[in-house]
Amino acid sequence: MFRNNYDNDSVTFSPQGRIFQVEYAAEAVKQGSVVVGLTSKTHAVLCAIKRNAEELSSYQKKLFAVDEHVGLAIAGLTSDARVLSNFMKQQCLSERLTYDRAMPLELLVSLIGDKAQLNTQHYGRRPYGVGLLVAGVDETGPHLFEFQPSGLTQEMLACAIGARSQMARTYLEKNLDQFAACGRDELIHHGLRALKETLVQDRELTLENTSVGVVGLKELGKKALEPFKVHDGPDVKDWINSVADEAEAETSAEGGEGEGEGGEGMQVDE
Amino acid sequence: MTSIGTGYDLANSIFSPDGRNFQVEYAVKAVENGGTSIGIRCKDGVVLAVEKVITSKLLKPGANKRIATIDKHLGVVYSGMVPDGHHFVDRARDEARAWRETFKTPISTSDLSSRMGGYLQAYTLYQSVRPFGITAIIGGFDSELEAPVDGQVGSGPSIGAGGKVEGKHGGPGLYMIEPSGMYWGYYGAATGKGRQAAKAELEKLNLAEGTLDLKQAVKEAAKIIYIAQQDNKDKEFELEMSWISNADGPTKGRHMEVPKDLLEEAERLAKKAISEDDEEEEEGNEKMEE
Amino acid sequence: MDHRPQAWGRPRDDVYGAYDASYLQANGPNQHTQSPIVTGTSVVAMKFKDGVVMAADNLASYGSLARFTDVKRIRTFADTSIIGFGGDVSDMQYLDRHLTELGIDEAYQSEAGHTLNARNLHKYLSNLLYNRRSKFDPLWNHLLVAGLDEESRPFLAAADLLGTTFTSPSLATGFGGMLAQPIMRRYVPDEAAVAGVSRDQAVEVIRECMKVLFYRDARSLDSYSLAIVTKDGVELRENEKLEQQSWAFADRIKGYGTQTV
Repeated sequence: MFRNNYDNDSVTFSPQGRIFQVEYAAEAVKQGSVVVGLTSKTHAVLCAIKRNAEELSSYQKKLFAVDEHVGLAIAGLTSDARVLSNFMKQQCLSERLTYDRAMPLELLVSLIGDKAQLNTQHYGRRPYGVGLLVAGVDETGPHLFEFQPSGLTQEMLACAIGARSQMARTYLEKNLDQFAACGRDELIHHGLRALKETLVQDRELTLENTSVGVVGLKELGKKALEPFKVHDGPDVKDWINSVADEAEAETSAEGGEGEGEGGEGMQVDE
Repeated sequence: MTSIGTGYDLANSIFSPDGRNFQVEYAVKAVENGGTSIGIRCKDGVVLAVEKVITSKLLKPGANKRIATIDKHLGVVYSGMVPDGHHFVDRARDEARAWRETFKTPISTSDLSSRMGGYLQAYTLYQSVRPFGITAIIGGFDSELEAPVDGQVGSGPSIGAGGKVEGKHGGPGLYMIEPSGMYWGYYGAATGKGRQAAKAELEKLNLAEGTLDLKQAVKEAAKIIYIAQQDNKDKEFELEMSWISNADGPTKGRHMEVPKDLLEEAERLAKKAISEDDEEEEEGNEKMEE
Repeated sequence: MDHRPQAWGRPRDDVYGAYDASYLQANGPNQHTQSPIVTGTSVVAMKFKDGVVMAADNLASYGSLARFTDVKRIRTFADTSIIGFGGDVSDMQYLDRHLTELGIDEAYQSEAGHTLNARNLHKYLSNLLYNRRSKFDPLWNHLLVAGLDEESRPFLAAADLLGTTFTSPSLATGFGGMLAQPIMRRYVPDEAAVAGVSRDQAVEVIRECMKVLFYRDARSLDSYSLAIVTKDGVELRENEKLEQQSWAFADRIKGYGTQTV
């Protein structure tokens, strides 16, 4: 069998100029359960599927608050994510202490990007095995960033990472134009529908396995903040129901015309 | 490739029997896959431009800047691995800051290039690190005015020896640094996927003559990025440009983004030039067929 | 004669007696700055309905000697805030360089629309001053920071060499605290009064304060800098002159020096 000689560490280029260790780390992100993020003019929303190791165990947390104005969603190695999350918390606190302001999102994300890049250039380290979606609101409004193990960070309008996330991304691309004008609940609705696209047959969004994180401006053009909050369990009931109702309505309307605006995105997985 | 299987390409800083460091050459491969970057040095300033390939529809348009400011008067653009580019930018900013702390005056474009060339070269020396997967273009405008010392608050005595050097100094500067740490000064520099086509276009501008002005250079830069991109037309891209003029020019000696209206104008002209080229080509083809 | 290197450049023991070398010894407490050397005097500033006006004269004194007469003690930051420096001039220059660096750092993100506002800047500088005093190595300055806060309201605050902070519709450092504050307070006794003061009025009051300070402060000068910060940016004039001075009151002053009548 062909043996790849160039994938033993993150300080060796392949003859094509690739670094396999970093690419493998990106695979670890795909092992994690899916998370979705999206933004409107006023809000940034994160939605996640939580996993439990076995029937009786608790579910693994997927969303974390970093500061009043920032939260993140993780896919991949949770312990690596906690290192980055703690670092971001410290940076945000230090920004408040030093300048008395909320950390600008772009700056925060570039700090973890730089941290991750160093792990891909020095021997004896390994890249972080986690992808993040960082959502927040700063002086310039709501933002969503994607972080990859390579240290690449990109600002997105919407994004999904983790297992079967391609389905969610397809949904997001299809409905991208609508997001900017969405209200808070509408945006969450889109997030959960994107999440739903990734589910395998017979799996459903439930109170136990679904997390929703929201941060935003109370009103467009004003400074007042709706701080980042993670909603779990009973808090997400209404949102899940609204997505489920739609699915039912669609099945009942099958054969006839679609349900207009809401119907289109649902066909991918079926 | 002759390097594969010899064992001399499995670690950085290893010479092969014919005196090559393959890991550095592989790093260059990473650059050659990246979006095209160019820099133009003209008589009254410098323009930097980059082709940002759009990898996903979900990316926020206009965000994710690839051209970075290093000091007030210095900018950098790069092709290759973007996180490595960030590392490069961070280091360049540290160098510029350290220079100011020591000498109480801004670092010159050539001095920054020298420092960064040294930094990249150091990453080819050890097995414990890998070379940078980028080629960077540094553009700057060193002040032609009598430079004040940082922190100076008065003008000092109006007569007497001032330690001033007579004659012209300062001006535009453009340098390109490769993963090996080697760097040269340029009138026009290009790197990344479309560098061959871009270089051919840059040569047509006769930059050494010093006749091209900054506004023309912005338009030429846009056109070159569009021409260099012709070979992968199917890939969508965003054009990002920045410029630096002297203290009397439009940017007042600072490195900044090209204003939106000028950028749009330049893009419009670039698109037009390309479609005209296409038509000519088609006409040519028709004639050939005849 | 003693030719050992440690005696080089020192008074000869045989002529001047034993040299007191105690200050050369490394043990014992470390001493940092004990007093300022070249100093600037008052900075005055007051809010008006759309912004803040600030002034400081262009003198740097060496003790009682009027040593430098073209020293600009107000600087701008990111074209949105101004800082006035009272106290040690070399420490001011250190802070000036520090702020230049901070301004460059901030400009990395400026395209994204972030910049430190006056309140952020004041927080940062007061932290810096407090940090230094906690190392018993203070920056010997009294600063006024002016600009707009995140809600675009006029902002004015002070920070001193101990890291003490204070805010008020009108502020003054040094002698100005005694001589200019009472004048300014007639116009802006509280925050509510700020809305009733126009830009021209505020400039007029500040000019009056500069004149009173020149009359009564022996370490002051009649050439000064005046800055006005509003949402439209900073207007900084660095070579203002005191106009219409009248020293008629001078010969009525009694009770100083060798005066006997």
